[in-house]
Amino acid sequence: MRGKLWAWMLLVVVLGALLAFGATSKPMSGSSEDRLFALAEQMRCLACAGESVSNSQAPLAVEMRGLIGRQMRSGKTDDEILTYFADRYGERVLLRPANSGLTALVWIAPVVVAAAAVAGLGLVFGRARSREADSIDITDADRELVRRVMAERSEGSPP
Amino acid sequence: MNLALGVAGLTLGFVAAVAGIVSQAVGLRRDRPTILRRAPGYAALCMTGATVAFAAMERALLTNDTTVRYVAENGSSRTPFPFDVATLWSALEGSILLWALILGGFTLAVARKFRDRLDDHLVGWAILVMFVVCAYFFALMLGPAAPFHSFDPAPGYDGPGPNVLLQNHILMAFHPPMLYLGYVGFTVPFAFAIGALVTGRLGEGWLIETRRWTLVAFGFLTAGIVLGAWWSYEVLGWGGYWAWDPVEIASFLPWLTASAFIHSVMMQERRGLLRVWNLSLLCATFGLTILGTFLTRSGVIESVHAFSESDIGAWLLSGFAAIVVVSVGLIGWRGELLRSPGRIDSPLSREGAFLANNLLFSVFAFVCLLGVTFPLIIEALRDERISVGEPFFNRMTMPLGMVLLFLMGVAPVLPWRRTNTETLAQRLWWPAWCAPAAVGVALLVGARGIEPLLAFALGGFAAGSALRQLTLATRRQGLRGLVGRANGGMIVHLGVIVIAVAIAASNSFQHQGEFDLSEGQTARVGGHTLRYEGSRVVEADNRRELRARIRVDGKDVFEPRINQYLATGQEIGTPSVDLGITRDVYLSLQRAAGEDNPTVSIRAIVQPLVQWLWFGGMVMIAGTALSAFPGRRRRNPLDPVSRPVPEEVPV
Repeated sequence: MRGKLWAWMLLVVVLGALLAFGATSKPMSGSSEDRLFALAEQMRCLACAGESVSNSQAPLAVEMRGLIGRQMRSGKTDDEILTYFADRYGERVLLRPANSGLTALVWIAPVVVAAAAVAGLGLVFGRARSREADSIDITDADRELVRRVMAERSEGSPP
Repeated sequence: MNLALGVAGLTLGFVAAVAGIVSQAVGLRRDRPTILRRAPGYAALCMTGATVAFAAMERALLTNDTTVRYVAENGSSRTPFPFDVATLWSALEGSILLWALILGGFTLAVARKFRDRLDDHLVGWAILVMFVVCAYFFALMLGPAAPFHSFDPAPGYDGPGPNVLLQNHILMAFHPPMLYLGYVGFTVPFAFAIGALVTGRLGEGWLIETRRWTLVAFGFLTAGIVLGAWWSYEVLGWGGYWAWDPVEIASFLPWLTASAFIHSVMMQERRGLLRVWNLSLLCATFGLTILGTFLTRSGVIESVHAFSESDIGAWLLSGFAAIVVVSVGLIGWRGELLRSPGRIDSPLSREGAFLANNLLFSVFAFVCLLGVTFPLIIEALRDERISVGEPFFNRMTMPLGMVLLFLMGVAPVLPWRRTNTETLAQRLWWPAWCAPAAVGVALLVGARGIEPLLAFALGGFAAGSALRQLTLATRRQGLRGLVGRANGGMIVHLGVIVIAVAIAASNSFQHQGEFDLSEGQTARVGGHTLRYEGSRVVEADNRRELRARIRVDGKDVFEPRINQYLATGQEIGTPSVDLGITRDVYLSLQRAAGEDNPTVSIRAIVQPLVQWLWFGGMVMIAGTALSAFPGRRRRNPLDPVSRPVPEEVPV
């Protein structure tokens, strides 16, 4: 059964169905506080040593969390709120670097490196595959050698 | 007295290291075994120097000898035990001292371990490299990061004590030493790699010799990182354990390259493949420990951990540059000898999986290094300040983590050389069904969302695979089946999977809230009820604790508090956590009740499975320890995978 194609198809279908159900069914509703902290996690507390607004206990961070709350209540979307803060405190407040201009490099470079890695791997594997095609000729002498050594081994040690 | 002792110790250490370098160099050049056999003596002197300096500093700290500037700046008579002991590594100079002590210990251990083969040139060169690194660190302490400077205290002077964050939790006594044992431990394989390159003896013998040293360093580094995460959860008050802070990344980078090495070294031992790559990984691991120290200790990057600024930056950067130049130069010079005799036969093989694994680890390390240094690059190019933080790292590393989990499921069942799809299908059948099983369980307990569910599916698959291997091994060999590299490695995998699942769950299903509560008021967060029962003040030796009493779900009372340190007047919150196997309720006090405002401000975070992170860490460490023991050799002489390992030249 475990080698059969249909059995593996079944597994894929079951897994796919479970994942699809989990992805589309109504998620546990996040409260507005959860949204607030999720936003705060994307901003740097400028008065702290490299902490996010969400993580810091500094007065400025607490104040900024209050500001995020007020922005949320005024009905702004997440992006609008982030833009508001970037305009007010400068680009540096955003912990997610912008995907534009020179800064976009930070997003592109890993993808390029990963693609190069995959391409390199493909090249190595491709060469391996072409070699795999050359079949190995097994002679009768080889078979005899294997048989003899196996026989010796089974004599030497208990089965 | 302490000052004089300390300086004497450092000088002794430095002189011994330099003498060791000279002696080794002469011995190697003239090929004099009698000279080479003196190495343990110099190593012992080095270690003595470091021990004397370390002991002098501890004595100064314990007796609060403020004539030593380091004690005056970082110590305090009010710091209770054992935090006064840990004060030694609470600032830059002391950390370097701890580093030197551990390095001295490793140097002595290598010299003792290889005492029968000291006149072997490969060992001789390795010990020479260790002495060079020792001399470098002693020079740091005699120059830019001197722990023993004199100080003239005013009568009645008492220092501020170490950074309050560091004296807030006992884990700080263990986290840095563990981390340093890991960092410094990588000096040993690096030294042997250089020795092998210089002597041109690039056979597999030296690799097997240093395999266990690498595992020990890896184990300590893992322990250090996990303890650091635990500390940050217990102390920092935001309910997290990892924030992609530069220092965290600095410790994670060598961990990544070391993990890559531990996997790819097996390809070299078994098949003679990837020699250049493996040497590069060892050199990179050691170089990254120094680069990480530079990035975080020189003040070029702001971080919670960057506790001091000094001109040590230039020294560390030159050290890193020297490592790169020497490694690249030697590897280039020996390029011809490093040509691998073997080739990969098929992608569907253990080798193929290890190769993919190594590329993933490298890309992972690249992403981390890029994220840390990118703001510096932009600032240098454009004079513009940007931030690269958690959202970037989470987004970029999550897919890498997922693919690693997938490989973790496939690779263990793959045989060396090649296989066919039928064998693979047969071996992966049960592990593969663990994936939908894991998703099913997660759905039943209410987990939703594609990302965490995918992580659970892959985690289930990888766990199934690891358990399959362990079951087969124990069925054959009983409990001995848990020992040895391959099987211990499977236990490490299980630990990694536990951690991955815990990270996915705690990040995805977190609920939090901030509340102002007056006495008797309740608040709800993530299905839990919090009731504020009033406040109390506890007076301790070195601090005042303002505690809020919070009853969780009508049961136990927890007391998050704000500690006011008397020496500096600094205030720092200390969370209190209702620990649970399935979820933690994390409470931290943002504002204590005052006279003008009787309410308290509480931040509450409910997240699942956090405690499993520490458990997973322990499993990883246990697995690493088990894989450091030799397993039973079960090698069939007909096994086509074992190419004979070239014999070392007998000595």
